[in-house]
Amino acid sequence: MLPLSPNSRRSKRRFFAALLALFLAPVVHAQSQGQDSEAISPVPVFTMGTGFITTFEGGTPHLGPLVAPLILVPVGQKWLFETRGTIEADLAPPPGSDDFKGSAEKSVDYVQLDYIANRYLTVTAGRYLIPFGIYNERLYPIWIRNLQTDPLILPIGGSEYGAGTGAMVRGGFDLAPRVELNYAAYFSAHSSVSHMESDRSAGGRAGIFLPGPRIELGGSFQHLLQEDRTNSFGFHFEWQPPPVPLDIRAEYARSHDGSGYWIESAYRLSQSPVWQSALRHVQVVARMQQFYAGAGESDEMADVDTNQFEFGLNYYFRDDMRFVSSYGRQFSPDGNENIWTLGLTYRLALPLWPGGGK
Amino acid sequence: MTARRPMLLLALLLAASTLPLAGMAAGQGEANATNPPPAASARVQHEDDENARAEGERRFHANCGRCHQSPHKLPPRMMATIVRHMRVRATITDEDMRLILRYMTQ
Ligand code: HEC
Repeated sequence: MLPLSPNSRRSKRRFFAALLALFLAPVVHAQSQGQDSEAISPVPVFTMGTGFITTFEGGTPHLGPLVAPLILVPVGQKWLFETRGTIEADLAPPPGSDDFKGSAEKSVDYVQLDYIANRYLTVTAGRYLIPFGIYNERLYPIWIRNLQTDPLILPIGGSEYGAGTGAMVRGGFDLAPRVELNYAAYFSAHSSVSHMESDRSAGGRAGIFLPGPRIELGGSFQHLLQEDRTNSFGFHFEWQPPPVPLDIRAEYARSHDGSGYWIESAYRLSQSPVWQSALRHVQVVARMQQFYAGAGESDEMADVDTNQFEFGLNYYFRDDMRFVSSYGRQFSPDGNENIWTLGLTYRLALPLWPGGGK
Repeated sequence: MTARRPMLLLALLLAASTLPLAGMAAGQGEANATNPPPAASARVQHEDDENARAEGERRFHANCGRCHQSPHKLPPRMMATIVRHMRVRATITDEDMRLILRYMTQ
């Protein structure tokens, strides 16, 4: 990719602003039509995932503060504008020093306009999270993930940036009584706009969810439409057996650059027969991963076969605020190392409209 | 980036923006079709409300703790936005969205 001159960057920014305006125009129009007849009219909402995680990787401490603000603007009965950004820092002492140094990284995770066309179809345009597997779209936020380290296979299928620029169709509906189908398919153009990069690619995901036993099974596919035009695919499985507070999740993914799987189980001690009032806040987590290096070279993924296991212990003060901790060990030909994490995560939500908090 | 790419992107986004119009027409009819007819008496209405609440609670437990811990209730107008967000992100079905919103705002 050629480096961009500040001029072309500015014109690109203008181009995106024009696109956004183009999209908001019909929305504003729809709202002025006053089609909002639902009993409860939604208001714009601000939410933010935030946390402070200290990681000890092979003995070196890293301090990681993170904020991920998110804005939701519903329009009429069928539209939603949503955007999320992330600012995070990784501060570590350089060798031979005690001072923590590092830089903050900013990214626009998504800026998208959704149109809920009907019960089968939602159309999304803009910059969106790539729906490959379950981690990127569903589990990534700091306040959601049970373990703070990324899965080794996370970069697979998400392209380099985890986001695409273009259009997506998605939806979830009943296939039969108590059998739901969910799907997402997208086309992404190449973008080199700073903090909003994406690759040219196409792909999608489909899953079957059984709300009775709470099982989901699905598969994902991605075709890169640039460079070496490789394919990636993956499978996912989730099970939350209804009588027990247990989450079992697993993912397998394969690409030119590598393949692997992770399997995680998380158990909330809410049914503990002893010390129930304290233990019901506690969650224990275990995850096992194997990664097999591929033929391609990716900066995002390990270039040697790697195995990793982790144990986590989380304490939920509330559903949106918790203390998190974990211990893990990574095994690879480059050397084995311990990974400890310790931190706090929180999610807040506020109305952005007078009277929205009532 | 060559000049062709933004044009392609623009064309694609434009095409996408026409889709909603088609959907709008289709969706409107459907929304009317799923509304229950007015209940004949207050008692029937009350039973309907109770059933909808129980069904909403069941669907809340089946769906809203799948990816994150089941969330606590927020003010109704915020809940309406967030449930719509989850409808899109979590591909919750249309019926789930309606019943869960009802349950979460009572
Ligand atoms: C398939 C996974 C999934 C399911 C099922 C799900 N959520 Fe979420 N939820 C998410 C993700 C991912 C986010 C974070 C959104 C982001 O950061 O972009 C989120 C965010 C939220 C938030 C924070 C505010 C916001 O909108 O970002 C609330 C509250 C919430 N969900 C409530 C619910 C409720 C109520 C349900 C049941 C109808 C539900 N969730 C079902 C994945 C899910």
